[in-house]
Amino acid sequence: MTTTLTSTGPPSAGKSATGRERNRYAAQAGGFAAPALLLVTLVLYLPFLWTGYLSFTDYTGLGNANWVGFDNYANMFSDADMRTAMLNTLYWVVGTIALPVGIGLALALLVHGLPGSFWYRLPFLLPYAISGVAVGVVWTFILQTDGALTQALRFLHLPGADLQWLIDSPLNTWVMIGATTWQGAGVNALLFGIGLASIPPGPVEAARLDGATGWQLFRHIYWPMLRPLTTVVVGLAIVGSLKTFDVVWAMTQGGPGNTSQTLALLMYKRTFIDFKWGSGAAIAVFLTVITVVAAGLYLRRQLSEAKAVN
Amino acid sequence: MTATLNAAATSARTAPAAPARRRLGVGGVIRRVVLIVFGLLWLMPVYLLIANAAKTSDQYGSVGVWQPVGLGGLVENMKQAWNVGQLGDGLLSTAIYSIVSPALAVIIGAAAGYAIVALRLRHGFAWFVVIFSATVVPLQMILMPLFRWSVQLELYDKRIGMIIVYTVLTIPFAAFVMRNFFSGIAREIFEAAGVDGASPMRIFWRIYLPMSISALAAVFVLQATLIWNDLLIGLTLTRSDDVRPVMTALVAMKSTYGGSTMQVVLAGGLLVSLPTVVLFLLTQRTFTKGMALGQF
Repeated sequence: MTTTLTSTGPPSAGKSATGRERNRYAAQAGGFAAPALLLVTLVLYLPFLWTGYLSFTDYTGLGNANWVGFDNYANMFSDADMRTAMLNTLYWVVGTIALPVGIGLALALLVHGLPGSFWYRLPFLLPYAISGVAVGVVWTFILQTDGALTQALRFLHLPGADLQWLIDSPLNTWVMIGATTWQGAGVNALLFGIGLASIPPGPVEAARLDGATGWQLFRHIYWPMLRPLTTVVVGLAIVGSLKTFDVVWAMTQGGPGNTSQTLALLMYKRTFIDFKWGSGAAIAVFLTVITVVAAGLYLRRQLSEAKAVN
Repeated sequence: MTATLNAAATSARTAPAAPARRRLGVGGVIRRVVLIVFGLLWLMPVYLLIANAAKTSDQYGSVGVWQPVGLGGLVENMKQAWNVGQLGDGLLSTAIYSIVSPALAVIIGAAAGYAIVALRLRHGFAWFVVIFSATVVPLQMILMPLFRWSVQLELYDKRIGMIIVYTVLTIPFAAFVMRNFFSGIAREIFEAAGVDGASPMRIFWRIYLPMSISALAAVFVLQATLIWNDLLIGLTLTRSDDVRPVMTALVAMKSTYGGSTMQVVLAGGLLVSLPTVVLFLLTQRTFTKGMALGQF
């Protein structure tokens, strides 16, 4: 592999005009970058374009693809399943910002400065190493009709024992957001923890001497200083929630009926189960556009920091 | 957003500013109690998973789900999940994918980072954006072509096809982290080695990679976990038991064996989670470092 790396000539080789010493390496630079660029182009960007093209066709996975213009997009918004999926995806976005991110921040603040913080954080971090599918298996067991939760509520004479957690809608979407919170809150706590640890002690001490209380400290010192990090965490949470697939697929497969469908799931169903590739592609494009807009939130920041490092 | 604020506000209020706040103040005690209570609550699903994965089929029907009965049925249930649920085949494939693909990806990603930072690739930052932006694309946007083309190229339902796709999916993150990491290596090191007559290839393998072991390991661990836990690529690009990754096999098992044999499915869930949980516990620091490197 290493030999092919160097022999791959870069298009820009030798064209550098500055005449500085680095030109010596221009040829090799292209060679080192080529494998990553080639693979990403062939396996990610080209498919990306092909899916974009398919969204304007009536392709079924077999035979010819006929151009249908914007039909797939127009049909998308009159499709009842699609509307359900959009609404549920919106629940996922809102719920993911409120729960895993909110609880993550709360946990980070609670743990901050405590001796032995690793051990306090561990129970919350552990589920992150578990896959979405395994999370789905465990929570199906807990939430299924007459499952562990219902039995516990009945035993404790608490309300909610008559709820069908995975069947009633939109309850089923919200409990799955809960399962994802169980999985993801600890990581957000970890990220916020890194942010809190990087806050210089000076301003905090000064504010304390001025008699600032817990809430005032948070409002005027911690929160403003965490803002840049919060942007990244919220951005990642939005992007992650838009892509939600594994937990839902493992728990309800979007059902019963289509009640817990999300955009990511509906795309898969339309394509590989209903064989409506054109309409599946249109959903994929729609999902991608929202995701890219949301990712703009944190990508800009990550990339500008990367540039600053340069 | 407001919900975030409210949640944070609640937590901040639980740490009130008592005059004697230092170390063992009232606030500290309350914080600890809150953390322990919620920590235990967070572990409940893990308890339920283990307690019920360990029940024999007789016990599963007759004993309440909250009641522990020891670990008597655990090995038998796992065996059944391994054989009948065909998780054994999936585990082998997934083990191959999660070792080979991240290993290739960190080297390819590091090479790209090296080209941009050390060799000062022309328009390096633009190329970097091209590679990194690929992380944003939802998998849904590439599933159809991957399926269609892998059938045409006879890579569908083949391990080599899976390795290629997983590798490429993990390259952007590897390139991102390694480029940022290499930026922190003093340029004098590269120049001195160059003056001594070392080729860029030699400097890459003998100096840059050995200096970056910690970052390489962090990326590897994180991406190995990601691949281990994949469902969607497996669902789309595989069919046979010996190529299908383990999470896809587990989902299939859940829909076939749910209900009365739920304890076997739970044992399967526990079985496939153990490797990543153990890896996480063993490499907690590396794991955390990878997370941090990936965010900033």
